[in-house]
Amino acid sequence: MLLSEQEAKAICQKLLDYVKADDATVSVESENYQHVRFAANNFTTSGRRENVEASVTLWLKDKKGAAQTNEMDDASLEAAVRQAEQLARLSPVDREYLPTLGPQPYKPTQGYIESTANISATERAKAIDAVIAACEKENVTGAGFHQARGVVAAHASKNGNFSYGRASLVSLSLTARTQQGDGSGYFLRNHFDVAKLDTGRIAREAIGKALRSREARTLDAGTYTVVLEPQAVADLLGFIGFVFDARLADEGRSPFSTPGGKTKIGEKIVDERLSVYSDPWHPELPGSQVAQGGIPAQKLYLVRNGVLETLVYSRFWAKQKQEEPTPGPVNIVVEGSQPPASVEEMVRSTERGLLVSHFWYLRPVDIRTMAITGLTRDGVWYVEKGKIQYPVRNFRFNQSLLEMLAGGNVELIGAPERVSASESQGSASALLPALKVKQFHFTSQSEAV
Amino acid sequence: MSSSLNCIGDVKASRREFLKVSGLALGAAAVPAWLLELEAAEAEAVDKGKLADAALSAARTLRASYADIRINRYRNENIFTREKQVQQVSRTQSFGCGVRVLLKGTWGFASSHKVTAEEVRRITLQAIEIAQANAAYQRKPFTLAPVTKVATSWRSNFEKDPFDIPLEDKIGFLLKLNEAALKVKGVNFINSSLAFVNEQKFFASSEGSRIEQYIIRSFPNFNVTAVDSVKGDFQSRRSLGGPQGMGYEYAEKYPWLAEAEQAGNEAVEKLKAKPVEPGKYDLVLHPTHLWLTIHESTGHSTELDRALGWEADYAGTSFLTPDKTGKFQFGSKIINMVADRTQKAGLATVGYDDDGVPAQRWHLVREGVFVDWQTTRELASLVGQKTSYGCCHADSWGSVPFPRMPNVSLEPSKEKITVDALLAGVKNGILIYGDGSYSIDQQRYNFQFGGQTFWEIKNGKKGAMLRDVAYQSRTPDFWGACDAIGGEATYELNGSFFDGKGEPGQSNAVSHGCPAARFRQITVLNTAPAAGRS
Repeated sequence: MLLSEQEAKAICQKLLDYVKADDATVSVESENYQHVRFAANNFTTSGRRENVEASVTLWLKDKKGAAQTNEMDDASLEAAVRQAEQLARLSPVDREYLPTLGPQPYKPTQGYIESTANISATERAKAIDAVIAACEKENVTGAGFHQARGVVAAHASKNGNFSYGRASLVSLSLTARTQQGDGSGYFLRNHFDVAKLDTGRIAREAIGKALRSREARTLDAGTYTVVLEPQAVADLLGFIGFVFDARLADEGRSPFSTPGGKTKIGEKIVDERLSVYSDPWHPELPGSQVAQGGIPAQKLYLVRNGVLETLVYSRFWAKQKQEEPTPGPVNIVVEGSQPPASVEEMVRSTERGLLVSHFWYLRPVDIRTMAITGLTRDGVWYVEKGKIQYPVRNFRFNQSLLEMLAGGNVELIGAPERVSASESQGSASALLPALKVKQFHFTSQSEAV
Repeated sequence: MSSSLNCIGDVKASRREFLKVSGLALGAAAVPAWLLELEAAEAEAVDKGKLADAALSAARTLRASYADIRINRYRNENIFTREKQVQQVSRTQSFGCGVRVLLKGTWGFASSHKVTAEEVRRITLQAIEIAQANAAYQRKPFTLAPVTKVATSWRSNFEKDPFDIPLEDKIGFLLKLNEAALKVKGVNFINSSLAFVNEQKFFASSEGSRIEQYIIRSFPNFNVTAVDSVKGDFQSRRSLGGPQGMGYEYAEKYPWLAEAEQAGNEAVEKLKAKPVEPGKYDLVLHPTHLWLTIHESTGHSTELDRALGWEADYAGTSFLTPDKTGKFQFGSKIINMVADRTQKAGLATVGYDDDGVPAQRWHLVREGVFVDWQTTRELASLVGQKTSYGCCHADSWGSVPFPRMPNVSLEPSKEKITVDALLAGVKNGILIYGDGSYSIDQQRYNFQFGGQTFWEIKNGKKGAMLRDVAYQSRTPDFWGACDAIGGEATYELNGSFFDGKGEPGQSNAVSHGCPAARFRQITVLNTAPAAGRS
């Protein structure tokens, strides 16, 4: 059972009561997690986990210690606090210490649905059976993952702050492979409301891609125009979050550092039609009411009309730089300023290029330009004269994301859709558009299907 | 085999007795906080044997054909520093139990952080309900290969339990390391950390096994950065020494200070190093680098669950398939790859896996030919094997056990071949140390690896430093291009704390031993901006 606000508050209070140190923040998180996996058109593993974790970070004057436990009896909670105090006593001075926050005006977000957090095992089995049956009907082999999660997070400080939030999430991914192993399709979606997860669509899309990707031809690696479905964009942009750190930029070790020790704030970094923002109260993508450092989350533009508007200042770094701490991001929305183009329109306008549905195993190779490597997976199609011509084998790419999104390289921008980076397995969420990009650098072929 | 298997007979011994028997009783100098914590835990002492009886008898009553319960405690200590300051010191622990049942050939699992008889019965019922719900639609039932029942305990091989070492010593270790790097002219930043893991695992199955294990792992780590603010450039050099299945003695014995200073020099040198010219090169790969290539190309491709499509939705499948067993030319004739859960200091070294199967050592590739798989009890019979190789693992009490990688290592040459001897045979090549960027396709063919430092090899000798190097190849081509491997003296064990696999993702600690080795005519890219296009 997830902790109610009253229960969470009581645990926080108990922890704070044990604290003898000068300052402290405490938190408690409780989780109900359920999953089912299937592969080779058969149920494989399925399980659930119930857990509660209490954490304490405290300061004896300006010396910090932290501890965490998942045992909620009084003795264990007190032991965690004593342990954090012991660690603080032994630690050198925390030069980045700032007094914890007093009461903050949080504005709740609405991302919790009871029927998602406590999903029915029998209803879920029925839904997965339908997905497997759809695979069997088309003579493809399905492997997939369904997860449902309810989470409660409460935080409190010795200076009187308290927050309590609940969130739910459900996701389903399906990889459909042809019996001969010559075609593979993938589709993943998630939502905070199980009623809005369209499992039928997920099955149709993955199976369709598997069937359409058979008999792929080999194409030379090189630079191509690409139409990136929203899933492919999610896979690529899953990496961008961390690079907006202000401190790294100020220290000269970020793509947003400039020669001479400045940052690129105020400069155009991507196509001027693109904006990147965080909105805690977005109805399709509710975020947390609490941003980094415990400050109340606010709607926040990182990039507006192609210009880097802000970087993320922690409370400590903001004070050093005489800036305000940044109230986010707590989610990511990327949108274009012009009427959106559909994937079909992007294909129609392409003289010669590739349609990419999914990327895999993305890793940074040069942080200075956000250059990453990775591979296409589960469906690439050759496009010529505005039409999909035939499927092609997979490629490895080496591509700078800044170069990809630069003005002049972005041709068309789709409508933002709720998607999840495949390497997050459905746990991450963002609103991202399909993109048509003029030049994308594929550096070798892969025969993997 | 170096790990000690010491059977203590009575597995119902309390945790404190277990620690004593295992030679782990805390010394007087131990950090008092841990004593406090221990006492709090002892106050809540649970009789694991009784809880196991409650779960397993409930599962039997509810008609499970098989059941097991794991009652595990995980302790983690992490210390993070940068330059002259400590950023974070934390200790976490997680205690809980998980019950797994097989009902009508369908798995069910449930777990909880509450470890009481009542809760154990409740989660057993939940596991049964989940199995029942899915069994209604199950196509093919699972069966398990037989295993010998055992009542025993095991502890990993370490000299100094890091959880007994005073915090001051650990902080002092990191700050000294930072100082050594920062005194190098041109070094701007260093982040360093220590991570220690202790797993206290209890396993009981409906087939009568009762196993307790106490496992220690240690991971010192640092990253040095040099910035050229005029040019707006920066370069980093990470530590080469990876995590080990060792105790605090690893921090004391490995030459960390010398390496931190060397890393500082190399980070600065990287700023001025010559960009690599893309093309084909002979590569000599040091064990601090080659372990990761072994992991991605060999470790994952020989997982039988992948080959059978069980991981198709995330990690992927494999270019190896059951019909290739004993026939497929994986690499050149000098390639011998061994899977080994008994290897000294191995991160995946255990006494028993989470199926209760004893640790083993076996060949995956022999004289260049792919010969065998990594298996669990549910996988073994699917390739006609009678017993499991013991590769079942869960990363928490709350995670479902599933097939995970053992230590997979490249055997050294029996001849005394040195790194210099490997270099001597190269006219135009690159010597690579340390692991960097890594990426491989979902069938484990096409891969690309970076590194930490790269050096020209010219006419048999190590030359100037290069930068922005990554090589790209295809697994059987790459191992086929290996024409010389170093002897025992060049062999090292490296590895990762965080090998990800499965849905939901689980983390596995795993080591890969290897000598230095030479590979002919491998494609090299320049990864710097606006370069490396082909």
